[in-house]
Amino acid sequence: MSHAIEFDEKTAWHGGQSPFRISYGKMMMWFFLVSDALTFSGLLCAYGFIRHKYESVWPVAENVFTHFPFVTAHIPLAYVGLMTFILIMSSVTMVLAVEAGHRNDRKGVTLWLFLTIIGGFMFVGSQAWEWYHFIEGTATGAMRQVWDIDQGKYVTKLIHGANMTYNEYGVPQFANFFFFITGFHGFHVFSGVIINCIIFINVLIGTYEKRGHYEMIEKVGLYWHFVDLVWVFVFTFFYLL
Amino acid sequence: MEFHDNYPQYETMYQHDEAHGKQIRSKLWKVFWLLLAITLVELFVGFKATSWGLLGGTFLKFFFITLTLVKAGGIVLVFMHLIDETKFLRYTILLPYSVFIAYLIFIILVEGTYCGYPHNKTNLDKNYKIQQIVLRNHHAQPVPEELKEGTTEKEIIAAEKDMEERSHAAASETNEE
Repeated sequence: MSHAIEFDEKTAWHGGQSPFRISYGKMMMWFFLVSDALTFSGLLCAYGFIRHKYESVWPVAENVFTHFPFVTAHIPLAYVGLMTFILIMSSVTMVLAVEAGHRNDRKGVTLWLFLTIIGGFMFVGSQAWEWYHFIEGTATGAMRQVWDIDQGKYVTKLIHGANMTYNEYGVPQFANFFFFITGFHGFHVFSGVIINCIIFINVLIGTYEKRGHYEMIEKVGLYWHFVDLVWVFVFTFFYLL
Repeated sequence: MEFHDNYPQYETMYQHDEAHGKQIRSKLWKVFWLLLAITLVELFVGFKATSWGLLGGTFLKFFFITLTLVKAGGIVLVFMHLIDETKFLRYTILLPYSVFIAYLIFIILVEGTYCGYPHNKTNLDKNYKIQQIVLRNHHAQPVPEELKEGTTEKEIIAAEKDMEERSHAAASETNEE
């Protein structure tokens, strides 16, 4: 036959192997991360929409997150900067654990993974502290229309702190989005720490030594870096802009 | 049709020796310092934005979003090793995501503009407006024009006084306890 298709032998895919040159587990982790990234993007876009709608009365982050541990002064952004530093730091220790895994260096993996877990716990703790101060509020408080069940009408009252219904710092939508987005991200960090702990125990008892490769560190590392990636965006859209 | 089970070992494909590892490590640390430097610049600009009069401006938005995208690129391409994967995988991950998000941002911008028209605006409790004016005046932040319109000078001064009195009352209450 004269119309046979010609193709380059070198670049052709012959079957029997992955065209991605990647293992099943890693590919599925990537697909999961894409779907999770879409979820977070949806949340951040919704945040942007509501913020645009209430632009004139939307609280400026500088007036909300002004606390720093052991200091009473008004220092905006410093605490969240510290949190970002902790998460980037734990991201770099994770990638060093992955690199050590590529050399089958059990000691290196143990050290770097341990530091990653410490960083993760520090971040979750910092977020708890931030939530505590957001919910607790300031001594000044703010005036709000609060539903009085006895009188059956709204009355103006002094309220402190934020919850799902009332927000001392501005419109309640700000608090709702803050709780949902940082809470969803914090839950991701928390589950990441738990997964890291399980993998750490496996490294200690030599599961991957027996298996002959440390690919599991790479898969968990992908998830951990994704958590860092989401925080980079949350940091920008919640605190900087 | 011939059958074989000598599939490539993907799990060990990316393993390397000590010398190569050293190279990779120095690259990783470089990216880390870059990420840290960008974060510090962002924090510094965020800290100074008010006094430089950039707060809420278009320049600041594009500045922060661009730096964020650079950071995201560093994390995804280097830390997550996407740059080392095959071209096919890279685009399988990035393209569908980018298309969906570009579309989502387009929708949000269109709808956001619609709800920003004056006749579509929601009526807000006056307390929110007064609070924002008081807070922004205190920290020397620019107050949007539309906020100033509805509220008179007297109201703001009264609200400020009221807030101060209440905070004093709250402080003395906690002292008594």
